[in-house]
Amino acid sequence: MKSKGGSSTLSKSITICSLGPLDDMITEHVAGHISNRCGLQYKISSRMDSPKYAFDEKRGQYNSKLILKRLTELSHNSLKFLAITQVDLFVPILKYVFGLAQVGGQCSIISTYRLRAQFYGHEPNQDLLMDRMGKTALHELGHSLGLTHCRDRRCVMYSSTNIADTDFKRSDFCPTCFELFRWQLENCGIRIKPRMPQF
Amino acid sequence: MARALRAESMKIVPPGKKKCVWMEAGVVSYKLCDNNYDCPTCVYDHAMQTKVARQKESMEMKPVGAPPEKFTATWVEKMMMLPASGRKCRYMITGEIGRKICPSAYECGTCSFDRMMQQRLQAEPLPVETPTQVAGFELADGFYYHEGHTWARPEYGGRVRVGLDDFAQRLLGKLSQIEMPNIGHELKQGEAGFSVKRNGETARVLSPIDGIVSRVNEKLLDHPELMNSSPYQDGWFAIIEPTKLRKNLKDLYYGEEAHTFTSDERERLFSMANDDLNIAADGGVSVEDISGELEEKEWGKLVKAFLRSK
Repeated sequence: MKSKGGSSTLSKSITICSLGPLDDMITEHVAGHISNRCGLQYKISSRMDSPKYAFDEKRGQYNSKLILKRLTELSHNSLKFLAITQVDLFVPILKYVFGLAQVGGQCSIISTYRLRAQFYGHEPNQDLLMDRMGKTALHELGHSLGLTHCRDRRCVMYSSTNIADTDFKRSDFCPTCFELFRWQLENCGIRIKPRMPQF
Repeated sequence: MARALRAESMKIVPPGKKKCVWMEAGVVSYKLCDNNYDCPTCVYDHAMQTKVARQKESMEMKPVGAPPEKFTATWVEKMMMLPASGRKCRYMITGEIGRKICPSAYECGTCSFDRMMQQRLQAEPLPVETPTQVAGFELADGFYYHEGHTWARPEYGGRVRVGLDDFAQRLLGKLSQIEMPNIGHELKQGEAGFSVKRNGETARVLSPIDGIVSRVNEKLLDHPELMNSSPYQDGWFAIIEPTKLRKNLKDLYYGEEAHTFTSDERERLFSMANDDLNIAADGGVSVEDISGELEEKEWGKLVKAFLRSK
């Protein structure tokens, strides 16, 4: 387990964990992105098993709601818990999701499956994948802290319907969402710098 | 000369808009049609007809040397002053046909070509440009949307075509039957006008406007699946002769408002479908059959929440 910050601050940090096989570089990039953007401390926990229990044979995808339910049943000694997987996720009524979170809850999950350039028939692009991962992770973290979707297409809390929406939005909160994000963290006893987002 | 050119350049007709016949005839310098070429019910047309009649009367009484009146001829009279080759048929003005010269002094009520066009245009819906994707649902541009997820599309001649939007067809899923009102039946905006059935359950669909049903899409009776495969074109429900069109349109969502409404409805649907866990997702287009996915939810509950009918 890699940790930034002492054990006394664990309950005020974000835990990032892979579900099934995943390139370590991705986990570390997501952790670094969250730390840079929000000044939050993080720890990277050891890998968990692939979420085979959530596989839906009819759809050939993994039910992210079931995974989230399973994660919430586990005990996590941290403020928020973000799982990363490379399987294809869905929720009932939607054909796919890039990520899912419990609004105001502890757990969230994101998938690399549809964030990779290869999925859209393009050449592999690691920088693009990292950019998309960072945005999706920050989006789900925002939900975990009680933020809902934003109407501003440039804000990271905008609800992406497709990958073009994710590519269009910025890796940052709009000023309104940032203030809300900061306020929610303060309610959790965490103070971050009143930095204006790059908007 | 430069002034005249500048004045001409000010007469730009925005995309999707059409010149009023009074402008087309050159009686007024600038006026766009806002009543779908339904001149008999157009307030502007009535006002102009009255104005021309008054000015004609006053011309007879006018002393010699008085300034000339501005409106001394109706648009039909102006058009009839043009050479025969310049008298455009009203379907040429509206862009529905390439070239057609009026052979009958604009007496459309007795024109056989007009009757043929009316029948043809009512039978086949106008083509729809590629719909815009909004929050994973398709929205056709230029349509007006009711909060009960029906749409209204004003067409030339004053009639309005109505149907169900993409959100509703995905929500309701594969339908087994669609029940239409009789021709001549009066509909009220926001009141049940149509019924759709699935697995023995019935959902009532609200009418987006007030008016009289003048035609129904009979193809839907044998092929209700058209409503799912082509909600904005082949799956239309009925043609309405509106009775309060302007007032009704103000109460419908259009353009950006329709986009916001659909996004909000998507959020509401997602919350309702996942109310056990209070989750939010990033990404995702809606599945084709939402009701089929939510087997545990009552169809009636979804209908009541989103079609807003009882």
